[in-house]
Amino acid sequence: MEKSYAFFPGCNIPLKSPHLEKAFRDVAGILGLKLTEMEGVSCCPEPVSLQSLNMDTWVALGARNLAIAEKMGLDILTICSGCFETLKTVSVLLEEDEEYLKKINVILKKINYTYSGKVKVYHFVEIFSQPEWLDKIKSSIVRPLDDMNIAVHYGCHLIRPSKIMQFDHPEKPEKIDIIIQNLGAKTVEFANKLECCGFCARLQDEIGEKLVEDKMTELCELEEEVDSLIAVCPACTTQYDRKEKIAARKTGKTLDIPVLYLAEMMAIALGVKLEDLSLMNRAVKPNKLIEKLTT
Amino acid sequence: MTEMVKKNASDLDTKFRYEISEKVGAKSLLKCIQCGVCSSGCTVTEYVDMQPHRVVASCLLGLRDEVLSSQAIWTCSLCHRCTERCPKNVDYSFILALLRNMAVKEGTVPKEYSSTVVTIYNNGFVVPYTGGLKDNIDRRRNKMGLPQIVPPDLEEIRFIIEETGLGELAKNKEDK
Repeated sequence: MEKSYAFFPGCNIPLKSPHLEKAFRDVAGILGLKLTEMEGVSCCPEPVSLQSLNMDTWVALGARNLAIAEKMGLDILTICSGCFETLKTVSVLLEEDEEYLKKINVILKKINYTYSGKVKVYHFVEIFSQPEWLDKIKSSIVRPLDDMNIAVHYGCHLIRPSKIMQFDHPEKPEKIDIIIQNLGAKTVEFANKLECCGFCARLQDEIGEKLVEDKMTELCELEEEVDSLIAVCPACTTQYDRKEKIAARKTGKTLDIPVLYLAEMMAIALGVKLEDLSLMNRAVKPNKLIEKLTT
Repeated sequence: MTEMVKKNASDLDTKFRYEISEKVGAKSLLKCIQCGVCSSGCTVTEYVDMQPHRVVASCLLGLRDEVLSSQAIWTCSLCHRCTERCPKNVDYSFILALLRNMAVKEGTVPKEYSSTVVTIYNNGFVVPYTGGLKDNIDRRRNKMGLPQIVPPDLEEIRFIIEETGLGELAKNKEDK
């Protein structure tokens, strides 16, 4: 538990959604998770585009970031599923393929970096779902969420391909559910739980709109009232929030489930003041949720 | 959906399958049994001009141009469900990324993808972080009590992008 991690917040969270970083840092502070800042890291780089454009560019830029952590003597902690996909995949590829590691190091050496292939990469869900951290979470709860029904979104890049990500069961993951349940809330089961958010299907916007509409419609029609959909990636979080609003307008359906990032929900349960979280900073306003939390 | 392709055997690129399979991580292409599990679980299966199992079949048959110019290879969201579920362990989503790499080399790349490398080349991040934009971001972070961002040395990032062959793509777009 004393272990410190090289903290890799990525681009989207620190530059576009710093309120999510704030929530995560508050949670880490309360639970005593040690983070060491990384200096000079670049974009992870973004997995879908870079991998598609040129595998070597993707791996070499990723390896440069890994090399910075290696120099610090620390493993990496990410709070974005995209960063997790890139850094974890690159770390596994280079650990398993000595020839490829050599080829990448030829490039890195020209800018005075080396990577030996030893850094491990974690998503914060992996840390907080471990028994000792769950105990710590339970004993730190200030506002139990036992009056809430929460829907969990895992997303694709956290869990698949499982032979590389090694995160959880690829068809029946439970790590996020377990964290939420330890905060006191009930997690709901639903058919579209493991569907993609569509953010990365970037050529056709209607793909994402349809996926979000289907999931949100199902959640709104469930017997139990869902208080929030929880995601663990900035792309999924933004995608559901924005596209839910668009789907509601286009279809005339009442789609009003607020989308929160896991660290925000954890921060609420661990007693971070609501005014210190930017909960209104989204398209679908969590009015009902805030009302529940303040009465 | 897919239109029938009529081609003479002599027009097929019979080496295409090996051009793909010899790349790191792509050997599994040759194991496909055309069961269709990939296509049945595919997130974008209703939206593509060629479903995953058809893309693989076309690679194996040597329909090089049809594959590399298809809309299907760029529509995929890389959700990796195909790779996860394939009973023969064909790593389709990884192979698809390699097909995109090949298409890029031939000059076919949608701007939704190429713009990412342009942004990284210019900022080190996938989000613009220069001038007034940077000031706004820094101010907002400061207000929240978040630490100062220490950006990468852009020369290093640009070197990697150029050295691995994306320099032209990153710079060409910069001028537009």
